[in-house]
Amino acid sequence: MALRSDYEHGRADSYRVATVIATDDDNRTADGQYKSRRKMPAKVNKKENLDDLKQELDIDFHKISPEELYQRFQTHPENGLSHAKAKENLERDGPNALTPPKQTPEWVKFCKNLFGGFAMLLWIGAILCFVAYSIQASTSEEPADDNLYLGIVLSAVVIVTGIFSYYQESKSSKIMESFKNMVPQFATVIREGEKLTLRAEDLVLGDVVEVKFGDRIPADIRIIEARNFKVDNSSLTGESEPQSRGAEFTHENPLETKNLAFFSTNAVEGTAKGVVISCGDHTVMGRIAGLASGLDTGETPIAKEIHHFIHLITGVAVFLGVTFFVIAFILGYHWLDAVIFLIGIIVANVPEGLLATVTVCLTLTAKRMASKNCLVKNLEAVETLGSTSTICSDKTGTLTQNRMTVAHMWFDNQIIEADTTEDQSGVQYDRTSPGFKALSRIATLCNRAEFKGGQDGVPILKKEVSGDASEAALLKCMELALGDVMNIRKRNKKIAEVPFNSTNKYQVSIHETEDTNDPRYLLVMKGAPERILERCSTIFINGKEKVLDEEMKEAFNNAYMELGGLGERVLGFCDFMLPSDKYPNGFKFNTDDINFPIDNLRFVGLMSMIDPPRAAVPDAVAKCRSAGIKVIMVTGDHPITAKAIAKSVGIISEGNETVEDIAQRLNIPVSEVNPREAKAAVVHGAELRDVSSDQLDEILRYHTEIVFARTSPQQKLIIVEGCQRMGAIVAVTGDGVNDSPALKKADIGVAMGIAGSDVSKQAADMILLDDNFASIVTGVEEGRLIFDNLKKSIAYTLTSNIPEISPFLAFILCDIPLPLGTVTILCIDLGTDMVPAISLAYEHAEADIMKRPPRDPFNDKLVNSRLISMAYGQIGMIQAAAGFFVYFVIMAENGFLPKKLFGIRKMWDSKAVNDLTDSYGQEWTYRDRKTLEYTCHTAFFISIVVVQWADLIICKTRRNSIFQQGMRNWALNFGLVFETVLAAFLSYCPGMEKGLRMYPLKLVWWFPAIPFALAIFIYDETRRFYLRRNPGGWLEQETYY
Amino acid sequence: MPTITEDCIDGFQQYYSRPPERPKKKSLKQMVYDSEDNSYFGRSMDSWAKIGIFYVAFYGVLAALVAICMWAFFQTLDPRIPKWTLDRSLIGTNPGLGFRPLPPVDNVESTLIWYKGTQHENYKHWTDSLDDFLAVYKVPGLTPGRGQNIYNCDYNQPPPKGQVCDVDIKTWSPCTKENNYSYHKSAPCIFLKLNKIYGWIPEYYNRSNDLPANMPASLKTYIAEVEKTQPEKLNTIWVSCEGENPADQENIGAVNYLPIRGFPGYFYPYQNSEGYLSPLVAVHFQRPKRGIIINVECRAWARNIIHDRKERIGSVHYELLID
Repeated sequence: MALRSDYEHGRADSYRVATVIATDDDNRTADGQYKSRRKMPAKVNKKENLDDLKQELDIDFHKISPEELYQRFQTHPENGLSHAKAKENLERDGPNALTPPKQTPEWVKFCKNLFGGFAMLLWIGAILCFVAYSIQASTSEEPADDNLYLGIVLSAVVIVTGIFSYYQESKSSKIMESFKNMVPQFATVIREGEKLTLRAEDLVLGDVVEVKFGDRIPADIRIIEARNFKVDNSSLTGESEPQSRGAEFTHENPLETKNLAFFSTNAVEGTAKGVVISCGDHTVMGRIAGLASGLDTGETPIAKEIHHFIHLITGVAVFLGVTFFVIAFILGYHWLDAVIFLIGIIVANVPEGLLATVTVCLTLTAKRMASKNCLVKNLEAVETLGSTSTICSDKTGTLTQNRMTVAHMWFDNQIIEADTTEDQSGVQYDRTSPGFKALSRIATLCNRAEFKGGQDGVPILKKEVSGDASEAALLKCMELALGDVMNIRKRNKKIAEVPFNSTNKYQVSIHETEDTNDPRYLLVMKGAPERILERCSTIFINGKEKVLDEEMKEAFNNAYMELGGLGERVLGFCDFMLPSDKYPNGFKFNTDDINFPIDNLRFVGLMSMIDPPRAAVPDAVAKCRSAGIKVIMVTGDHPITAKAIAKSVGIISEGNETVEDIAQRLNIPVSEVNPREAKAAVVHGAELRDVSSDQLDEILRYHTEIVFARTSPQQKLIIVEGCQRMGAIVAVTGDGVNDSPALKKADIGVAMGIAGSDVSKQAADMILLDDNFASIVTGVEEGRLIFDNLKKSIAYTLTSNIPEISPFLAFILCDIPLPLGTVTILCIDLGTDMVPAISLAYEHAEADIMKRPPRDPFNDKLVNSRLISMAYGQIGMIQAAAGFFVYFVIMAENGFLPKKLFGIRKMWDSKAVNDLTDSYGQEWTYRDRKTLEYTCHTAFFISIVVVQWADLIICKTRRNSIFQQGMRNWALNFGLVFETVLAAFLSYCPGMEKGLRMYPLKLVWWFPAIPFALAIFIYDETRRFYLRRNPGGWLEQETYY
Repeated sequence: MPTITEDCIDGFQQYYSRPPERPKKKSLKQMVYDSEDNSYFGRSMDSWAKIGIFYVAFYGVLAALVAICMWAFFQTLDPRIPKWTLDRSLIGTNPGLGFRPLPPVDNVESTLIWYKGTQHENYKHWTDSLDDFLAVYKVPGLTPGRGQNIYNCDYNQPPPKGQVCDVDIKTWSPCTKENNYSYHKSAPCIFLKLNKIYGWIPEYYNRSNDLPANMPASLKTYIAEVEKTQPEKLNTIWVSCEGENPADQENIGAVNYLPIRGFPGYFYPYQNSEGYLSPLVAVHFQRPKRGIIINVECRAWARNIIHDRKERIGSVHYELLID
């Protein structure tokens, strides 16, 4: 019923909606914030702090008399504070600025990078190395320095990757600093009778400040003097209508009373003088900001995925390590050997380069998104948009242009659509009819708005205007239709004016006309349509003046209802030529005691205004929906306006009805409608306040198209939490301070770069530089792509783990000389695999990723058992086979046939044995067999590179054939060349045998791995062929990652 | 115009609902067998069978691939001649030396020959392992080819192709099995052999006036002696054994080399002929100092043998400790 009544109210009272501040409205927007705080879940760490924030805003500064106020702050309305008192207050209360949210100290961040993820496992490996070395050093005269060397390498790897990710992280967080140091705000303060210009931070309680239009309110102030003063509270309440402020106390509630203006809101009109009553964090704004920074945000989805994956890999590494440690004992190895095996298994199991790869991939995407106007503050947030299943969008400024624009006109008994597009590409209308001429004359003349100076090159719609938003809209509309408005006004000189006031609800002005032959004065009036109509007796239709009969009134009412129903502010216009006999040239018009007719005027038409949606938004909303993302509008604005905008951008799609619509259509009470039948819902903040979380869940679950109107910051928070409770990953867009708690709570908060307040930017994870909702679609697309590509990248990297681990296992279990050393493993993980793995981030999407639903955060993991099964169980095994084949080939060609190798390990690795016999009776010194062994390591390494060629190519696609995908990813092609060149370099560069124990290979030893590379390629092409042929089949269930 | 995707969207639009909260810890029994969905370790029997068959087939094919590759590769190998020899192989052209007896197998890292000369049980390991090592030299039938192709070689009678030279063990006295290789007298015999490298041909030091500076003086005089008395025997790879450090050189005492002080040249090149036996030099330490470790380094001398103590090429290192 609430909506219904709101609808009525919107229509009947639309003059109020149009031009007056909503004094008689419940104003829950602002109010609710404190009341509903009680509902705030108290699961926040800094309880004490938050409890404080939860309290009602309990102040009486607006209630007490001015004298008491001055008394309390020991100030004076004319002279202000004394310097000494100001200094004392400043020392007591600190600067008048918001405390920035607590930053994690840099060294903590650094340590997290140094010890998080796989780093711990590698540190263990390094420490084991040092332990092994020191034991060897103390027991043997000439200890092998292998372990010392490996320990140093491992530590270096951990430290370097730690520094690298720390650097990447700090680089992206530096983006924020560009926003922080904005132009300092200045305030005009009276102290000891002198006017001073101070930095806003230096204001203290009790300071007397002067504010004029265009200023930002420097603190919460009690107004003691005002002239035509209006403030824009939109950043606090989300409501874009300027509200007038004066010295009188009008409401118990501090947020509704007229004599308070709040920190960080903007003065749009007039001037005022006030006493500072609260500063910095104690201001209303500061409390909301404090609420936002106190919220616990939790991990990003990608961080969850990466942790899941790290747990998985660490689990496997620890399991294998411990198992083989025990097996080594059972087999009778010395415990030091067992420790060395353990190190080898850890090193082989941990994909050392992978986390760096992930960071680089995310950075690349972040850069790409930044170039598309999505600035990402937190690297991990890059992917979050891709997983998003619900977007809660603010209306004003995000979906709309945040600029009142004339949308419709009614004259000559027809509704004309005006062009509301940003670039004036919409429909044009006839500007020559007499009806339009009359209407435009009133709109031009009965208008106090003016363009601000110095905006010559700026398109008309983008020009800044001083004055009321509706008047600005009319001014721009007229400037577009008629040309130079100021010139027209000059030619039709204003003689007298009755400005708008809330009792009259109209505005009148009297002008000379430009027609020099006509001595008559012109009276023009605009105001609330029904009030204007009351004052009219005739109506101007098709160039003729007609009597305003019932039929015409009916037509007027229809037009008015239609426009009101569109959520538009409607204004009525009328005029009257004052007869020259009664009002001759030079007649003194008295505007206080009106001495001219304001009844029986000629009605001309209606004009209606709306803050129109941005051009790209409907398309973007449609794209989001086709991507399976639910778009919810959450706004502080009125339900009717919200619904109208929601309809025009497609958040409520055509043909979908709300419960109220159904009730109206079927002519039954709302209570009789089954809520499940309505797909759409418009929920008023007032209703939301009485709704339990179960009921909220129900609303969220059963309505696909939801608009929340008149919501407070806390309610926004509750809505976000509700969505998250349903398992959705929620993105919130917003620009105001009132959005910031929700921005912070959301999985990804998206703030507006141009219109957004500092607080909202601070709470957000991402900033849209062009304030355009459509950029979110780009974000979603990039996020989804990077998730897919990270899967590919991880699949690629993990595959080489099997050929890295298996040599160790064979070494322990089969007693063969070690086929692959730890240093070579590091060369793969940190050398040849890195560039190809990163290059997968550049891979194109396989299909239209915007046509599929968002991923299911509970089941669709970054690394799942199918990926592991593919990488470890299938491709990895083929790779290991390739490596061992090459190993046996080289051993056999040099004299050791495979038969001979089994069980030879002890003799092989003994320095004491200087004459080990091979299969041809040749006898090998220790040095020569080690050369042979290291050559095998190199060959094993090279063969991994060769099979990784094939692996890289098959990892390009998860379902499509490579022949569909093509090889157009030049980064990847470069990666193929790079890994080959690097491998060749490591093998052939002189000196490598000393440094890395890599020996030059005969050219033919590159080839034995090739059949296996082909096998990988053919196997996977075949597998994917069956995947495409049998979607949802067994093979897909078991192998599609 | 409703498209397929639009139809799907209604399905998507519903939230993903959280899976019903499961009791966090399944009992061990449930992990193994969950009666709820009749699954063992998270899979039903059916599913286990399918994935099992898949992997059996997969690994079967992979094994076949490896087998084919191996088979094809072995077609390229010769059973008697290594694919790569000398410099083209990693074995290179610089043979090392080997010594016998070796310490017990479970002490494979050690090169210490340690025994008490008075107790038979104590030196039994060393003499036994020498018995084993020398068995093929004593009984020709133990070698492959059963000694059919043994040729009576001499410096002027190199073996024809396919024939191998005999190693005469009678000339080793007193380093013979019957004499316990002299171990019981605390004057052990250590046998040296040069590593076989297929096709390797030594370049001899066969002129006494052209010997390297670092060659031990005793060897130099020996070569000069040979040059005078039996010049045909100059084509020999000479052997020298010395203490590594000055102290060791004092402790080592007199050293005798049997049958001659080197490996006769007619044994080379090694061509993996059936029944080939490496020539041996028995090094007889006649009066080593007791109760102290003596580091011994034996080197083989030919122009194309380079020595490196650390890498143990061209030489061998072992320690003697006789209690």
